[in-house]
Amino acid sequence: MTKQQNLVESIAVLALVSVMVLIGNQAGFDNNIIEALPGMAILLLLCIAGVATNMFVFKKIPSVLFVITYGVIVSLPGFPLSETVNAYVAKVHFLALTTPILAYAGVAIGKDLETFKKSGWRIVIVSTFVMVSTYIGSAAIAQSVLKFMGDI
Amino acid sequence: MNEAVKNVKLHLVVLALVVVSELIGIVTFKVGPGKLVLLPMLYAMFIGIFLGPKFFKIVKEKDMFQASTLVGLTLLLLMARYGTLVGPKFYEILKAGPALVLQEFGNIATLVIGVPIAMYLGLKREAIGAAHSIAREPNVALIGDIYGLDSAEGRGVMGVYICGTVFGTIFFGLMASFLAAFEIFHPYALAMASGVGSASMMTASVGSLSAAYPAMAEQIQAFGVASNTLSGIDGVYMSLILALPMSNKLYNYIYKLKYKTAPEAV
Repeated sequence: MTKQQNLVESIAVLALVSVMVLIGNQAGFDNNIIEALPGMAILLLLCIAGVATNMFVFKKIPSVLFVITYGVIVSLPGFPLSETVNAYVAKVHFLALTTPILAYAGVAIGKDLETFKKSGWRIVIVSTFVMVSTYIGSAAIAQSVLKFMGDI
Repeated sequence: MNEAVKNVKLHLVVLALVVVSELIGIVTFKVGPGKLVLLPMLYAMFIGIFLGPKFFKIVKEKDMFQASTLVGLTLLLLMARYGTLVGPKFYEILKAGPALVLQEFGNIATLVIGVPIAMYLGLKREAIGAAHSIAREPNVALIGDIYGLDSAEGRGVMGVYICGTVFGTIFFGLMASFLAAFEIFHPYALAMASGVGSASMMTASVGSLSAAYPAMAEQIQAFGVASNTLSGIDGVYMSLILALPMSNKLYNYIYKLKYKTAPEAV
């Protein structure tokens, strides 16, 4: 498969999911499809830019990193048109973007259900430790630095 | 991926899941100091799981496999939106003090504690996905990009992501009240620790702390929001550069101790 085909296919998938997000965004969050269209198009363009950077420029760095970074840049105060960008993307609710992802993930998980059943309770235990340790780890560092700086 | 794009049935099934789930909407239950939150994405996933050949027989093996090849890509749209949530607050964060910046490294505690515990419980590569971070959206997307979400690492990160989404707010609300009551940490330190890259977890924690220390509420909220935005910015970089390599090293080390043989190469 050539790179160009690969990019075209990625764009096709992203566009397809964008349509689903627009529909879900209307159904769940009362954001009109037409009004949300420009914001969705901006998000789509950011993704395409991120995927293309990963495909053609920095092949070893995951596209996720580029997509987030581009998203930050175009919405930075002072970046050309950032206020317009922010106003448009605000019409696309964050949670409306999560639903199609988890729908695909759910269908996909169906095939690994046995494995999930086996490891499920272990993962639940691990999650509690993960949440406690990040909280206490960060609090301990913050506490020491604040003490050291004489702020508390 | 070619075949997956053209699988019209799969996309229609997903669209139906999306519409049904969004129409049900967000359901919250008040539990103690926090809330149990059920989001449309959880219904979509839950129903999706049972569409397979063993239950409703709506999708076949082939559809399930093709769905798994698409998840990583669909996550990118969410990440683009995520970036635009962080951007507008970027300069405010630059002004944050050293305590606020340095406490971000406390997030590495997840892997130091989590990987050994996960492996003690018998998990293998799932441990990397589950414990390398607190498994919010950017971490899920990163693991999906590097290992694929249908890999062992992917199952780990998805598992913790889902637990965090359902129980995270209650958990953070309780944890904050509990630690505030013990008075080991200053409320400002706890406020800074509240931001882990999830607005709902941060809100729950900051809510509990403000209730415990009403006189400091304003400062607590400012620290919480700032640290949460900071985690949003550095989370994916921290995972890629620091947390994932460290998790892999720790994993290999414990693997040799536990199973007396080198782990199979990944």
